[in-house]
Amino acid sequence: MTALHVHHLIRKIGLALGSIAILAVAPASAPAQTPGNTPDFTGVWGIYRGAKGADPKFTPPAPSPLVLKPEYDKPYQARRAEESAAAQRGEQLASSGVQCIPYGVPSMMSIAIYPVEFIQTAKQVTIISEAFSEVRRVYLDRPQAKMDDVAPGYYGRSVGHWDGDTLVVDTVGIKPAVSGYRGMPHSPQMHIVERIRMLSPEILHDQITIEDPVVLEKPVTYTLAFKRMASDYEMVEFVCDNNREYVDDKGVVRLKLHDK
Amino acid sequence: MKIMQAVRTRACCAALLAAGVFGAASPLLAHHSFTMFDMTKRVTLIGTITSFEWTNPHAYIEIDVPDEKGVVKHWSIELGSPSILMQSGWKFNSIKAGEKLTLIINPMKSGQAGGFLSTATLPDGRTLSNGPQRPQ
Repeated sequence: MTALHVHHLIRKIGLALGSIAILAVAPASAPAQTPGNTPDFTGVWGIYRGAKGADPKFTPPAPSPLVLKPEYDKPYQARRAEESAAAQRGEQLASSGVQCIPYGVPSMMSIAIYPVEFIQTAKQVTIISEAFSEVRRVYLDRPQAKMDDVAPGYYGRSVGHWDGDTLVVDTVGIKPAVSGYRGMPHSPQMHIVERIRMLSPEILHDQITIEDPVVLEKPVTYTLAFKRMASDYEMVEFVCDNNREYVDDKGVVRLKLHDK
Repeated sequence: MKIMQAVRTRACCAALLAAGVFGAASPLLAHHSFTMFDMTKRVTLIGTITSFEWTNPHAYIEIDVPDEKGVVKHWSIELGSPSILMQSGWKFNSIKAGEKLTLIINPMKSGQAGGFLSTATLPDGRTLSNGPQRPQ
């Protein structure tokens, strides 16, 4: 055995002993919050509504009531009434989605039946929605910024930490123009807390609580359920480059037809 | 080519299914509701494809459809998105310009020559739907 072989052998033994030492002290120094002990959300998840006969513990619980302050509730209800009346006439009023404007947080987590992909590392969880190819990044174990320091956008700033087997995600900085939960209005003070947890290897829940002291009488909480899709599912490209729906001068959605 | 354009107004199961899947209150809609289409009516179009656009947020079939007198009318037919269509067996090259196709559509309420696809019978004889097939 050459000196070089001896050196490699000693190094390997050292690394192995080091690994054993880390494993031995891990439970005491860093319990469930270490990346090695956390569940792995990585993969593609489809919206799960719980078909007939499904295990009721996997179906999402009912949402809490959406209660807006009167000054916001009045125009909100008026808009809902306008939308219903338009639908009765066979018309749809303009919405962000019609114009291919991003859904943002939190709506991008549940766009129709399109799946979302989680990519999890020790320092970041990245979530990509297939619809409109929207991306949000959750930075782990970093402090949240002050609301005033976050430029308002579609995805805001999300930080997260592990609470046992649950990923707790805190988001601020969603600009008021972004369509809210059930179309609710929101202020720059909207604060979103998500508790994301796997109930089984195949089922994941995202409990979303929205606080907004300006707009809401009380926080609203709803839960999305997801089912893990086949491991070989490949996310489909979704670039909104052929949007034939447009909004006319009355705010009604129309379809552009081609002559040829 | 046999010239046919039949308009039927019956609440057949397929139309009801389509209405259930794509109705205004459906949570399945990403881009827009389907209030502009009459989901209770079905129109059969037999014609020649002028283009097949495999695009988002919707795919489209452009098709020339001759009537009984041979007068050609052009129709624009909206489909789901590629992701949704792939669940029903569609591919970006399932059909191409110049091929003859039979479509069943839900027509526009406005009476314009446009509609939303219900099913398409391809040149190879397969009939593909326009709805999601993925269990939820």
